[in-house]
Amino acid sequence: MFTALNFMLAPFVACLLLILIMVYFGIHVIEREIIFIDIALAQIAAFGSAVSLVLQEMNIVHHNQGGEHDSRTFMAYLFCTLAASIFTVLKDKKIKIPLEAIIGIAYAAAATGAVIILDKGAGGDVHIHDMLAGAILWVSWPQNLRFLVVVVVVGSFHYIFRHKFLGLTKHYQSEETVVSNPKLWDFLFYFSFGIVIVEAVNVGGILTIFAFLIIPASISALFSQNWSSRILIGLIVGGIATILGLYLSWIMDIPSSPAIILFLGLCLLVSLLLKLFHFSKT
Amino acid sequence: MLDNLVFLAAPITACIMLAGILSYFGNHILSRGIIFIDIALAQIAALGTMIGLLLGFAEESLSVQIISYAFTLIIIALFALTKFKKQVIPQEAIIGIIYCLGLGLAMLLAERIPGGSNFITKTITGNVLWVTWKNVLSCFILFAIIAIIHLFFQKAFIRISGSNDGLPYSPGKTRLFELLFYITFGIVIVKAVPVGGVFLVFTLLIAPTATATLFTQKWRARFIWSWIIGVLGSFSGIYLSYSMNISNGPAIVCLLGLIAFLLAFLKLSAKKFRFLKHNNKN
Repeated sequence: MFTALNFMLAPFVACLLLILIMVYFGIHVIEREIIFIDIALAQIAAFGSAVSLVLQEMNIVHHNQGGEHDSRTFMAYLFCTLAASIFTVLKDKKIKIPLEAIIGIAYAAAATGAVIILDKGAGGDVHIHDMLAGAILWVSWPQNLRFLVVVVVVGSFHYIFRHKFLGLTKHYQSEETVVSNPKLWDFLFYFSFGIVIVEAVNVGGILTIFAFLIIPASISALFSQNWSSRILIGLIVGGIATILGLYLSWIMDIPSSPAIILFLGLCLLVSLLLKLFHFSKT
Repeated sequence: MLDNLVFLAAPITACIMLAGILSYFGNHILSRGIIFIDIALAQIAALGTMIGLLLGFAEESLSVQIISYAFTLIIIALFALTKFKKQVIPQEAIIGIIYCLGLGLAMLLAERIPGGSNFITKTITGNVLWVTWKNVLSCFILFAIIAIIHLFFQKAFIRISGSNDGLPYSPGKTRLFELLFYITFGIVIVKAVPVGGVFLVFTLLIAPTATATLFTQKWRARFIWSWIIGVLGSFSGIYLSYSMNISNGPAIVCLLGLIAFLLAFLKLSAKKFRFLKHNNKN
């Protein structure tokens, strides 16, 4: 039992960190109805890495063992920034289509673009699968520390300017704006979200991140309208699902991310039933 | 050149057919703001196939196909029936949750099936180049039947998609139309994804109608323009892929995506084009 605890501690801490930041962003994303932005940004970052790989192949970028990882991360961030600016600019009254459609097209183009430049993706399938599943079980303490720094920096940035970000999201669908200079804050929102996604996908894989983003925030939407209590509800639900999921994956020897996701789904089902029961009583 | 035409005739026919039916559905999907529904559905269909395999049926046997269809139709019927006047969780978030849980379950099952993780990624790529005439014919018959159903009920479908809360009729009647709409859509997606791959289907669904909607809000004009854009885009995408020797699905996706983005930016930046916009509106 002790070894299990020892082994599971790092993944558990990583999951809690992920949930903490993802629930917060999840509420934003659900209120704005741009649910799939996380998968799109992750895919665009992956496209950036692919571009840097191709550049190295062509010897345009001088490479050595240490510099390779740096240039890939740099390209991933560069592409994320680009995407953030595109999403900011194209959110406009004159564009009559929902932003989610633009996000979707960017996602499809980035995914297939990577296939084209990696020359029909020899082994591309494997890469897709790895990126989807991630390896939260093998997360190391240095990785945790790095992610903690990201969470603290982005989190405090959002906390300091919370009125800007919350105001922006609250009036996202309507024409009026309560925040001065909305484009700048919109860009900062997508940009900081992009940073979190790039770092989070390295830790947990796309699918786990997506589940943490959407499901706890959806559950909290059932019970509260208040931001801080929603974050708290999401954190508690996510924490419970993580403990159960990791425990189940340990005793039954199944992959941990899907187990956590299924427990999150179960939590959603239970909360829906609770809500229905509550409704019928009042 | 004639040899190439003979070789490419089946893929081109398949693409034009897909563009025809998907661009039509895309207008409804875009107006309802449920952009990612086809990716979620494709995932559920793949999950159904995997469950069929797990039960011991042969791949591409009738039983597996029936299980796959049954799974998809149950999920989409649930989705159609859970639309309420006061939507606490946006429909797009429900789609996200369905996708997430479907993929999570598929990953768990993949461990139990030899080569199972292939099924997760198989649907992603697709290969329209190797489509057979027999397949084209069966697609054509199915799509024609669905087109006739939609022609018959087009007024009701347009009214539901176009209304703000999505409930223009009495709840029972709306639900009935919704059920019909989503079930026909589900059948088209389950049939189209193995032919074209998730990304081609997704792009043909969203990109042409998004491009058309930039310039006009009228249903008729949107249908016609998205058909033109979809068919021309697939045609030139295949030509491009042939002449540049890249895979054809990704070529079409990137071409249509680029067109959508370019026109969106053009629309934003071009005040000079205002007269052109005016003409289109009338």
